[in-house]
Amino acid sequence: MAMLTLFRVPETGGWVEVGMIRGPIMADSPVSINLPVASNAAPAGPSAQEQKQMEQAYAQMKRKMAMEEIGRKIKHKIMVLSGKGGVGKSTVSTGLALSLAQQGFTVGILDIDITGPNVPKMMGLDGRRLHVENGRIHPAQGHLGVKVISMAFLLEDEDTPVVWRGPIKLGAIQQFIGDVEWGELDYLVIDFPPGTSDEPLTVAQSLPDIDGMVIVTTPQQVALLDSRKSITFSESLKVPVLGVVENMSGFTVNGTAAPGTEVSIAAPGGKTLTTTADDGGKFSVTLDIFKEGGGKETAQEFGVPFLGALPFDPGFVRGGDDGVHRIVSEPEGASAVAFAKVVEAIQEQLSDGADGGLEII
Amino acid sequence: MAETLPTLKKLERRKQDMILTYDDETTYTVTYDDLRHACPCAKCSPLRNEDDSARSLRRQIESLPAEKPTVRTIGKYALAFEWQQGCSSGIYRFERIYDLANRRDPDRGKPYVHGAW
Ligand SMILES: Nc1ncnc2c1ncn2[C@@H]1O[C@H](COP(=O)(O)OP(=O)(O)O)[C@@H](O)[C@H]1O
Ligand SMILES: [Mg+2]
Repeated sequence: MAMLTLFRVPETGGWVEVGMIRGPIMADSPVSINLPVASNAAPAGPSAQEQKQMEQAYAQMKRKMAMEEIGRKIKHKIMVLSGKGGVGKSTVSTGLALSLAQQGFTVGILDIDITGPNVPKMMGLDGRRLHVENGRIHPAQGHLGVKVISMAFLLEDEDTPVVWRGPIKLGAIQQFIGDVEWGELDYLVIDFPPGTSDEPLTVAQSLPDIDGMVIVTTPQQVALLDSRKSITFSESLKVPVLGVVENMSGFTVNGTAAPGTEVSIAAPGGKTLTTTADDGGKFSVTLDIFKEGGGKETAQEFGVPFLGALPFDPGFVRGGDDGVHRIVSEPEGASAVAFAKVVEAIQEQLSDGADGGLEII
Repeated sequence: MAETLPTLKKLERRKQDMILTYDDETTYTVTYDDLRHACPCAKCSPLRNEDDSARSLRRQIESLPAEKPTVRTIGKYALAFEWQQGCSSGIYRFERIYDLANRRDPDRGKPYVHGAW
């Protein structure tokens, strides 16, 4: 056993105590030790860690290029958000997508609500799984040819929500966005989970040129409060607010009468509403049940556009259950008409060069 | 909102600052450094929560070369400023710009909490 007391470290010229060498050292055998001293000598080649970093950087770059490609191929990207769950965000997302498709646009919908992805159900694609070809994810085609990608396509079983940890979740979203083969789209509608903020942030940073966000609220005070927070949040993402939609804003009554009959209905607040049964003998009227106008007030208070109100329509709930969206089952119905108006208001915002008369020099 | 916001009529970009003219005939000057320090984006905002990071944000902004931004309206409610260097991520609501014009803290003393909903 050699009696070594000190070792010279060539690169630094310092001394290391023998105590750092572990294990026996034989007198005339070559000694190989790892010294816990920072070395500033150039390494021979990339270390495993550096290799990994390079690979990650490469993957990152490829993903970024894929995002930019997506950015070019998709004309308009619209985020749909709400501060609170259950206000009808997915109903509005799918409704907007279908309404746009009705007008002849090529539309996609991206459902990144991991906690409760319910877009496939509403689009008649319940139980679908991911379709991957040549490493690219291909959207499923829902009603009216709308292309659908949902986090639900990843779930083994609809009833067991996957618990995704933060970074994995966000990584999955980025991957999703980068790997989907949307083709050319006029519109991409993105449905977010409620009440969180990391997802919109990730998407806003990944996808270039997002046109803006649509904020869904209901007339109830709590929902309105939350929608205010979303508006403020949008500014920190540099995503403009396209406007506020008030959902479940009135109740639509549908009925039948002899074609051409004038029907009058007693509405809340002592009002009487009249309508005429169409050629098929159908009529529909929308009654105000909640206090209306909260969405509009919020929009005015913040100076963001109000996009319109959507009636409370039990057909949405049925459609959510049997997979036939209201807009598909009743393309001329009151809800479809209300959606078309919201779409029109959004399109007006998108083409908006309106500067309110501000002169910038 | 007690105060009614006058409408911004003219924004004149100069080398280091911009002159804002409102429809009530008031005129203000806001330096680009002040403007950029008040960036409402998710990256810059938290830096203003603490004095130290706020100062270093300020220093970092002041060290950027002087440039005139490209200014764009966002709907009818805000402005966005595009810079060659540094952060261009925030959307400035007209109220925020008016606060800056009046030398008021546009954060109104409230710390930024990421995704406060
Ligand atoms: N305008 C509406 N009229 C009637 N029911 C609605 C309406 N909008 C949404 N719903 C119903 O409310 C429930 C929640 O809607 P959903 O779109 O899933 O909300 P979110 O995505 O915000 O959680 C669903 O059962 C849906 O069918
Ligand atoms: Mg939903």
